[in-house]
Amino acid sequence: MPEITSPRLSDRVETDPVTARVQETRSGLAALIEAAEQARALRSESTTKDGSAVCAWNHFENIPTFYNWNNRPR
Amino acid sequence: MDTPVAQLWSGMRGISTQPTYVVMQPTTLCNLDCSYCYLPFRKVDRQMPVEVARAVAESVNPWARTGRFSVVWHGGEPLAAGREHFAALLAPFAAEVEHHVQTNATLIDDAWCAFFAEHGIRVSVSVDGPEARNGDRVTRGDKPAYDRIVRGIEALRRHDIPFSALCVVARPAPGLATELYEYFLELGCDVLGINVEELEGVNLRDNRHPAGDVTAFWAELVGAWRRDPRIHLREIEWSLRYAAAVLDGTADTVLPRRLDPIPTVAQDGSVVLLSPELAGFSDPRYGDFSSGNVLTTPLSEVLERATETPWIREFLDGVEKCRVQCPYFGFCGGAHAANRYFEHGRFDVTATEHCRNSKIRLLEGVLDHARDHEPTAV
Repeated sequence: MPEITSPRLSDRVETDPVTARVQETRSGLAALIEAAEQARALRSESTTKDGSAVCAWNHFENIPTFYNWNNRPR
Repeated sequence: MDTPVAQLWSGMRGISTQPTYVVMQPTTLCNLDCSYCYLPFRKVDRQMPVEVARAVAESVNPWARTGRFSVVWHGGEPLAAGREHFAALLAPFAAEVEHHVQTNATLIDDAWCAFFAEHGIRVSVSVDGPEARNGDRVTRGDKPAYDRIVRGIEALRRHDIPFSALCVVARPAPGLATELYEYFLELGCDVLGINVEELEGVNLRDNRHPAGDVTAFWAELVGAWRRDPRIHLREIEWSLRYAAAVLDGTADTVLPRRLDPIPTVAQDGSVVLLSPELAGFSDPRYGDFSSGNVLTTPLSEVLERATETPWIREFLDGVEKCRVQCPYFGFCGGAHAANRYFEHGRFDVTATEHCRNSKIRLLEGVLDHARDHEPTAV
């Protein structure tokens, strides 16, 4: 599907086209999200201190070279 | 009751006075000369004095006592500083501070592996996929660097040092993503980040790509990852975190409440906030982009006064424009400062090619994959 290039068409939440598209994809996304959760469990992304480069999942955004989404060194 | 859009996304309002990490430049020097590099002084060896590290540590050590805190050593090529000097720069930091290094891997040998283990340094390597995809990664003599990169990574593996990888993709297109992902599976990295090449710093190469090609690249990457999801793939994890929050009705909690200032401390102690890529540049309108120098002002004080830097106020205006205008804001949080500046010459603009390539088309690619792989009803 083409990306949504126009600004919001009105000032009402229910018209947010990106949220709407995510919700329309709910079935496929739910399966993908489940697959990702299983993969995390297999990767043992839990609160262990085994020295892995992968830190605890609930801290993932604080692995700065990778996870700080909103900005990061590249 | 209807909610005005301006209230929809509540995160990313203003700048936090306490970062979650600091980027430190131990030397400006890089032993490689990659054609897409944005760094202006990478041929010059200007090393960070220990006094700079000591000054940063005075602010950082208390932060690390109250929560997780990291220092990212990012050059130039950080290992070009040498182990003895690197150790001296690490010394002022408290034991609680995590250290990360982003390296081109070419200097990694047994001695560096021992150094990483001794100091608990987490390693991330820069490699762009199979040998043929590393044509931009060359030595100062314009020779391919790939063999040296691989030798360094082999040393990490020999010493059982877990590592992450960053891969720059110059031209995202269908057919490439599977090749790349399978390469990184074989390489053995735990974590992978994909950076679509950006127009910034001294890299002026065009980063406009056909939308369909980029979206198809990301969709294909999801498919390749899903077949063998051993690697924690940054872009997919973040996309799914956002998508799951939308489906749960908690999307507005995904973005941080305030922007992380991400102080970059250059080798001379000057501090550039928000975008490390701006360090070392200057502009007649904005000056040198710095917000102070840790040798004269404590880092904590530099951060408390962040909005006194004129370009940062303009950037915050830009974030608010993104919030109002862009339907992807809840996923993205606003265009990065460096991309705004290097693509548009100012900070109060909105959409960048980086937004399109690495955020909008990423999310669209993930959604395309999900749409095309709905479970079959039984």
